[in-house]
Amino acid sequence: MTGVSVLLAIAAGLFAAGLFGVLARRTILMQLISLEIMLAGPALAFVAAGAHHGMVEGTAMFLIVLALAAAEVALGLAIYLQLRRDAGDGDADAARRLRG
Amino acid sequence: MLAYLLLLVPTPPLAGFVLLALDPYRLDRRAVRAAALVAGCAPLVVMAPMALAHLTKFWGDQIAPIFTLHVGNYEVALAVGLDTLSAVTALTVTFVSACVLIYALDYMSGARNADLRRFFALMNLFQAGMLSMVLAADSITFFLGWELMGLCSFFLISYNMTSPRAFAAGQKAFVITRIADAALLAGLLLLFLEAGSVRLAELIPAGAALDTARGPLIAALLLVGAMGKSAQFPFHTWLPTAMAGPTPVSALLHSATMVAAGAVLLARFAPVLAANDSVAAATAVAGVVTALFGAASAVAQTDVKRLLAYSSISQIGYMLVAVGVGVPAVAMAHFVVHALFKSLLFMASGVLAHAGAGGTSIAALRGTARRAPISFAAFAAGAASLAGLPLVTAGWWSKEAILASAFEAGWLGLGVWAVGLTAAALTAVYAFRPVFTALRAPETETPRGRESWLAVGPLVVLAVLALAGGLGVKPLTELLGGHPPHPALWVELAGAAAALLGIAGSAAVTFLPALAGRVARARRLRAGLQMDARYYALLVRPYRRFVRRLSGGRGEWVTRVVAPGRGTEGVERELEGAVRHARQPEGATSDPVGQATVVLGLWVWRALLLPFSPDRMDMAWMQGARGIGRAAERARRLQTGRVRDYALALALGLAALLLIGWGMTWR
Repeated sequence: MTGVSVLLAIAAGLFAAGLFGVLARRTILMQLISLEIMLAGPALAFVAAGAHHGMVEGTAMFLIVLALAAAEVALGLAIYLQLRRDAGDGDADAARRLRG
Repeated sequence: MLAYLLLLVPTPPLAGFVLLALDPYRLDRRAVRAAALVAGCAPLVVMAPMALAHLTKFWGDQIAPIFTLHVGNYEVALAVGLDTLSAVTALTVTFVSACVLIYALDYMSGARNADLRRFFALMNLFQAGMLSMVLAADSITFFLGWELMGLCSFFLISYNMTSPRAFAAGQKAFVITRIADAALLAGLLLLFLEAGSVRLAELIPAGAALDTARGPLIAALLLVGAMGKSAQFPFHTWLPTAMAGPTPVSALLHSATMVAAGAVLLARFAPVLAANDSVAAATAVAGVVTALFGAASAVAQTDVKRLLAYSSISQIGYMLVAVGVGVPAVAMAHFVVHALFKSLLFMASGVLAHAGAGGTSIAALRGTARRAPISFAAFAAGAASLAGLPLVTAGWWSKEAILASAFEAGWLGLGVWAVGLTAAALTAVYAFRPVFTALRAPETETPRGRESWLAVGPLVVLAVLALAGGLGVKPLTELLGGHPPHPALWVELAGAAAALLGIAGSAAVTFLPALAGRVARARRLRAGLQMDARYYALLVRPYRRFVRRLSGGRGEWVTRVVAPGRGTEGVERELEGAVRHARQPEGATSDPVGQATVVLGLWVWRALLLPFSPDRMDMAWMQGARGIGRAAERARRLQTGRVRDYALALALGLAALLLIGWGMTWR
């Protein structure tokens, strides 16, 4: 395996680990952290691919992903606070008023 | 701009139909007849100068676009056009239909309890259909006119609504032609996909240039469509029973226009057929088989109208032969001649039947030669033309041209020629049977009846043309771009001998009791080889059984279940709830608009849908509707409201997309 393949494999692993966290954890805070890990996977892949092809766009994309992650955390924390106020705890499964 | 005058050809009959069908003025009988006459003869007045200007090369090919729509690479362009083929056919159709309408004015006013308004409205609509088909420059207008004719033929054949026989005949004609029309529609659509345009000027070259397997397929579909409308061999059963319609209907629909429409179609699409040798050969074979079959069946008929019906089948078989051996121009020459003499024969037989002992059986014609001499002479002229009496009749020239063309068309043509010659001899046998019978002394002496000039006028004109029209066959063929054949002398002599032999045979069949008895006993042949009964046993009866099983035996299912109104009451209850809801809205303001739609819906439900009591089809339908409700009940369980479940679904969807994407790049 060459260098870029290793990095891409790690990126996929990060993404999978994050996804598992989102699906398995019920605490909203933990889910948010898992989402951050998920985002780190593609970000790493961008940087690795950019370095492999010698192009600066990969790093630029990483900056965009960072900005996206910041926005996501801001929104996520706002939702978390609102849910704590409504339901009293941070359980994601308790908030199921949209059930059909 | 002058090309737009073409639109004035089908419009007057259409306007006549609208006027007579809606009848805002409650016209009396005289006004109805006048309106029908004007609407029926106006196309001839408009068409004749235009056709003559075109045929004398004074006026070139014309096209008048009506409506154009571009969709992607496809073009939908409706238009009417004038070329040599449409000029010749439209002139023939307008002329013959004007003659028939004038004749019908007299004939139908003599009929008791005749609903003249309905009759003439439908005749005019029929004319409009045929004319728009003939003049069409695109496949949509063509097909529209074609279908309009099919519809009118149903209404006109079952014109006598009190007779179940007439109604069944109309139904049969409608269903059988519809089966073939489906093939025609498929062919035209395939052709459209190939050419990307509905204009005939682009469709036909595109169809002829096809070298894939679609070429023969399209040609075969067109052939099937033409065979259905023209009552060719496996589809022929509707035409003889269609004689249940009034005589003018037979004269218009079943001689010059509707059944001949198939020949016009094939002549129009002749390049497509010519490009596919196998289909062209099939056309010729189907034509000659039908020609022989029709002629043989006609010999055994005892009813003069059925005899003429089988003769139409047989004569259009000759036209198919001509198209099949690659001379559509000759086919169209025969189309013109056939339109003249066959409408003449139908109309004259109507007058003779009135003058005779009543009824249209051949035996009842005895002695009518003395009672209605002018009509008899006209009938004899038509019969001579049909039989192809050498040199002096138009029928001989056109039929001889077809047979000679077949003779010159290779080894298959040689076989076709031989069978066609046999059929020609049989044609002479049946054509002269009514003539010789009418000449025989009547059993009871009656004075000569009065022949109305309205009825006799068209007969005389048509009789003259049926005899003298032979002079026009050769120039007509050349005008249409065909080359008149130059057969060897013995081939022409064989044709003449066949006709003369046939006439001698006809005299023998009429006057020799032994032979006459034999014809009278040929029941199988008279019934057209009982194809009708076979179709009934094979197709109609199983289908009826199937429908009966679906609707539950003899309708006892309906009485059992409908009484409480099961299956439909739910809908009504919900609608009534909606009305209550709309009348007493929860808010303070009422909702007149919403209320009106619900009230209207309820009214439509009560007035239109409730009378149709539910049968099993309805129940199946309602089951399907309820099934959707049950499916929704299951589907809502997917909506758990848990974010993690949705995230799982998203992840699975993403994985599936990635798998598909990977599969797409995999070679």
